[in-house]
Amino acid sequence: MNADNPEREKIGRMSPTDNELMEDVRDGRVEKLAVLFERYQTMLYNFFLRLTGNRAASEDLVQEVFMRVLKYRAGYMGDSRFNVWLFQIARNAHVDYLRKRKSTLPLDGQYVETPSRESLPEAAYEVEREAELVRRALDRLPVQKRELLVLFRFQNLKLREIAELLGCQVGTVKAQVHRALKDLSRIYLDLQKGNVS
Amino acid sequence: MNCEKTQEKFADYLTEDLDEGSRDEVREHILSCAACREDLENLTVVWAKLGVLPEEQPGGGLRHRFYAMLEEYKDGLEAKGKTARATGLLAGWREWFTFRRPAFAASFSAFLLFVGLGAGWLLNSGRAGGERLTTLSREVQDMRQQVALSLLGKSSATERIQGIGFSAAVENPNDTTLAALTDALDNDPNPNVRLAAVDALYLFRNKPGVRESLVRSLAIQNYPLVQVALIDFLVEIREARAVAALKLLIEKNELTPEVKKRAEQGLKQIV
Repeated sequence: MNADNPEREKIGRMSPTDNELMEDVRDGRVEKLAVLFERYQTMLYNFFLRLTGNRAASEDLVQEVFMRVLKYRAGYMGDSRFNVWLFQIARNAHVDYLRKRKSTLPLDGQYVETPSRESLPEAAYEVEREAELVRRALDRLPVQKRELLVLFRFQNLKLREIAELLGCQVGTVKAQVHRALKDLSRIYLDLQKGNVS
Repeated sequence: MNCEKTQEKFADYLTEDLDEGSRDEVREHILSCAACREDLENLTVVWAKLGVLPEEQPGGGLRHRFYAMLEEYKDGLEAKGKTARATGLLAGWREWFTFRRPAFAASFSAFLLFVGLGAGWLLNSGRAGGERLTTLSREVQDMRQQVALSLLGKSSATERIQGIGFSAAVENPNDTTLAALTDALDNDPNPNVRLAAVDALYLFRNKPGVRESLVRSLAIQNYPLVQVALIDFLVEIREARAVAALKLLIEKNELTPEVKKRAEQGLKQIV
């Protein structure tokens, strides 16, 4: 959400950028973290929710990210975009969460509630059913591909930012996104045809 | 342009980040290449499908926990600065006897429970089991409220937030506790305490007078995060009485663009 990002416009011209706020936090004005929390809590929550499928765990992970931001604030250099730095912390927190988790429940076993036809109007039922299929398809992707698509599709990170985050070339990210989308498309169509339970 | 070069551009094509020239090249290629055309069609479909997943909002508890953590951290920094050289057993014990320590918090809760159980047993030893349990429970709740009120009067923001946390754990708060929470929301100098009070009052939204207090408070808050939290709250409970307050708020000149936008959205959702 730096100056070249439309988000800056949304926040207001006079609002400090993420980078300025984080530099304040680094320099001891830790109360400024509250503004960054308000800007990013929903984004991070949805990032974790789409990776874990678990609301309570996603809230815990958001809290964990901001605790780590405070812990590592002195190391913030400000030479890369704040959102890239933040999502690096978020990815690490997610890796640690996966390590700690004893049982592996698939996404659709955790938070997807099968929509009830009786309780919803026809159009809403169809949308909900569609969303459930997409969630199940995403869940069947390997975690790296799922994470890549979540970052690219939902977190509005640019390809060059994802490349920076993953420590690889932009061309590699483009190829990975292409493959991940193709896999997702195949899984989705299989689910739709009922080839996969 | 060959297939490989074309497919490299698909990701940017989907996000509409290609310049006009590259876009034309992709279009030109897929006109003559059925495999790439089908590939791009499939990707476009699945890209659109991903858009049906709704964005969810985290619960209010997350905000509460974050601000408590931030206050704790700030207090820790301040304490560190003041007592950088004050080490030793005494300092250690004093630190241990604070609510920040989970061990102390747990011990203190256990102590409260024990006192409550003891008091209940002494006072009600002659009564039937069910009645005794109800009385014991009430005793513990009363004590929790007393601790909450005591913490709310402290000078440290961390302790006041902890006091709000204690209040939030009360099942059936009395008028004094509710008044203390409302007072914290309206008058506490620390915005993080005021935010915590919004979250706690959300839990008691069905108690008489709570909704009115929140509507009234909207007019006197000037900190954007508190304003947004209040707006979210009033919108979520579809409080019709908030309409006038929101309209007045929107007219305020000093409102930040973000809050103004949220208030305008909220107004549409309530009406």
